[in-house]
Amino acid sequence: MIFFKDCKRIARSMTYLIYCVIVALFFFTQYFSDCRTEVGPPFGETKAVEDHDLIMSGAALSLAEDYFANLYICYPFGFYKSVTLNEKKQEVIEDALTEMTGLSMEELTKLRDNAEHYTSYDGLHEYNGYIIDSVPVSSSLTYDRFLEIMKKVNKTLGGGSSYKPDDLIFKFSQVPMTKEEALEEYDNFTNKDRVTGALARLFSDYTGIDAAILPVFVAAALTSEDRRRRMSDLVYSRKISSFRLVFTRYAALITAMFLPLLITMIIAQIQAVSIYGSNISMTALFTLPSFWLVPNIMEAAAVGMLFTELFSGGTAVIVQFLSWFLSLLTGSGQLYGKIRSFTLICRHNTVFGRDIFMTYHSQFVFNRIFYIVFSLAMVTLTVFVYETKRRGAFNGIRLFGKGSLLRRKA
Amino acid sequence: MNDCIIIKNVDKFYGKKQALSDISLTIEKGMFGLLGRNGAGKTTLMKTLAALHKKNSGEITVCGVPVENASEIRAMTGYLPQEFSMYPNMRTDEALDYLGALSGMPSKLRKERVESLLKRVNLTEHRRKKVKELSGGMKRRLGIAQAIIHDPKVLIVDEPTAGLDPEERIRFRNLLCELAEDRIVLLSTHIVGDVEATCEKIAVMDSGRILWKGTVSELIENARGHVYTANVEKRFLPQLKKEYIVTGMLAQNDYTTVRIVSDPEPDLPNTVQTEPDLEGAYMYCLHSSGCDVTGGEDI
Amino acid sequence: MASGCLAKVVCSDAKHNFLVHYLLALAVILASPLLFSIRYLDSKQAAQPLEMLVPLIGIILLTPVFMPEQNESIRDVVRSKKTSYSLICLLRLLMAMAVLLSLIGAFVLYMRHCGSAVTFRHFTGSAASAAVLGAVGLFGAAVSDDTITGYMSAVIYFITNFLLKDKLGIFYIFSMSSGSFAEKKWLVLMSVILTAGTFTVRSIRN
Repeated sequence: MIFFKDCKRIARSMTYLIYCVIVALFFFTQYFSDCRTEVGPPFGETKAVEDHDLIMSGAALSLAEDYFANLYICYPFGFYKSVTLNEKKQEVIEDALTEMTGLSMEELTKLRDNAEHYTSYDGLHEYNGYIIDSVPVSSSLTYDRFLEIMKKVNKTLGGGSSYKPDDLIFKFSQVPMTKEEALEEYDNFTNKDRVTGALARLFSDYTGIDAAILPVFVAAALTSEDRRRRMSDLVYSRKISSFRLVFTRYAALITAMFLPLLITMIIAQIQAVSIYGSNISMTALFTLPSFWLVPNIMEAAAVGMLFTELFSGGTAVIVQFLSWFLSLLTGSGQLYGKIRSFTLICRHNTVFGRDIFMTYHSQFVFNRIFYIVFSLAMVTLTVFVYETKRRGAFNGIRLFGKGSLLRRKA
Repeated sequence: MNDCIIIKNVDKFYGKKQALSDISLTIEKGMFGLLGRNGAGKTTLMKTLAALHKKNSGEITVCGVPVENASEIRAMTGYLPQEFSMYPNMRTDEALDYLGALSGMPSKLRKERVESLLKRVNLTEHRRKKVKELSGGMKRRLGIAQAIIHDPKVLIVDEPTAGLDPEERIRFRNLLCELAEDRIVLLSTHIVGDVEATCEKIAVMDSGRILWKGTVSELIENARGHVYTANVEKRFLPQLKKEYIVTGMLAQNDYTTVRIVSDPEPDLPNTVQTEPDLEGAYMYCLHSSGCDVTGGEDI
Repeated sequence: MASGCLAKVVCSDAKHNFLVHYLLALAVILASPLLFSIRYLDSKQAAQPLEMLVPLIGIILLTPVFMPEQNESIRDVVRSKKTSYSLICLLRLLMAMAVLLSLIGAFVLYMRHCGSAVTFRHFTGSAASAAVLGAVGLFGAAVSDDTITGYMSAVIYFITNFLLKDKLGIFYIFSMSSGSFAEKKWLVLMSVILTAGTFTVRSIRN
């Protein structure tokens, strides 16, 4: 059977060997060493709560301070970016401030003049900062309207600011956990999640990072092997349909690359049983991570196959590396909490926070199913590319040289 | 003695596999042919001579220079590998110029040589083409041009005619003969016809050993009395191929005329001893050295 | 005469075999200001782009040094010439390093021009991270004789840095972002060892 033949071919490849070693390395240095001790109640930690008053007053104060300094700190791609606005855009912020606080600009300026003033020097540049005690929040401001304003402010700042509606809760509404809340979190951990349910999220968080990039190498190497070994013509002339050939290969890739993850799951389960005893869920460490990670493997492998057939193995690696890099950076400010509908790498870097995970659970499910469907669509596209190549109508897109994409216009 | 290649008791191993065993040869000016099957060790021997492989033991001197002295050896040898290729994005003349520079030629001399060589190998009109756009034959001609650009004393060509059409092949052989007038040309091939048309002296190799060395006529003489023709019925052919070395077959109406190489006279009807040709002589040489050269299974 | 030949070889090499890589590295540098601001950064903030993005050009520039001769017959032709093949590769490597240093240098100067608190140490630190990433790629490509594996090893080294952070100790390439420059000299040492190892492996194999 060609499925097993392909599996064997993958298993013998250098890239797959490296894949296995790296998966094991990351598993043992991260998840495994993090979970070596028993988890207790999270006393003294903070938690994000959806307290609208807290969020609105915090955001209004922060925005007022940033406005008067005209220095806004943003992380549009995960990198620090200090934004200084021109007059026209400052007016947009002015409007937002007056609407949020219900104060006029004169009143706001008075607040500033009474505030503590400092000048700051960040190496080479000097700017004025103000520490304002508090600003009022207009009583007529609804939370929905507030979110609209924040959306506009964030857009004016070029994205990635502290006022991004999705992140408000984490920026302005962090409160210390009370003892009861900490105990409740712990109760969630032991009873609702039955330990492994929570561990499964942490496991998936760590493993998701490598599962979103490494498969592209294995897939690209397998796909480019035919061409490199000048086997294309031999394979092309066989009877098997392109559809079956491509999908069998894809299935072999997914199976082969899921196997090391399954082994790490088993090790994680054994570790959990040895620490928490056998009164824990025996399935959670397998079901959730599979649902969480398989879409990542599928996506990376599909990119590997499609772009290698279309351009070259190198291009596939670059494409996947870029999407991985950007996804990781844009999400790096926030290691758990909201999972958005289209983020490639879902994060939940804690054993607690079951409630917030469950709040966004439907988005998480949508996200994962989206990536499964997206990957299958890419593989189907690969079948078409493969089929056209097989018929000789197309020989891959070349970026450089005679008759290539970049020269065709000339 | 200063313009010949002397090889004494050379051994070469790839891991445990012995690729060359106890090779001794003296190669003088002119054309020298290495004849042998695929995998006989011809390429390994040639690469060792071109200082691309290190030998494990023995002694090789090329025009008085020991082969360990790689830089000097490479300065006076030109090498054309079995499958010549070059950076695909370079233009033909640029590739030649580049390889000339690698041989340490000054730029003025390079320019002249590139011009004259392109003309000599008929590539002048294709000089602006990129290497990847050249046909197999043109590539091979570029290959020979790059091998002689620095006017080497020794030219080593590995299976130069494989995959060429008959016309190209003849042109290529003639070119090699011209070149052999004032230097050593060492040519390897598994095609007997090439050797027959060009070489005076030859050596036959198999599984890393030299089976035979001498002139072409000596090799043929050696096989005299061991080449036969016979007429057999078609149904006996498979059986015949298992028992004898069949070097040629000509199908007639109800029987087939076969050429057979055999030590004792074959026990067949109408067997006639005939004049040996080089192909038969080569097969006889392999056979008499204990190689299995019978036709094997019918496909 | 000989030096004239080498100059010709290096120029021709750069033009035909590596120009695309040089341009790609330039593109990465030019694209950097789009991704993050480089104005008025303090020392640690300035280190972020210099360690997380700019060093990627090391992978682009250094990994393919042996790539043109990945095809064995090309390698045989080139090696059969008088000029030592190792010397050619060494010159290519130096050329790639020169491009790398000038790109990073220009970028650091530009950051300074934009008012960021960058010093000479930022330049050397960024170049050290770039060199070690490139050296890992070079080594991987040379040992496996396959450029994809080379890129893979370099990218994996980069990812490992992302995930394990300062657990990597002296091998941590993002140390400058947390204010430490001590790792950089080890990175330089490691690049030198890996490069020397690459050349040794190549010459043993031949």
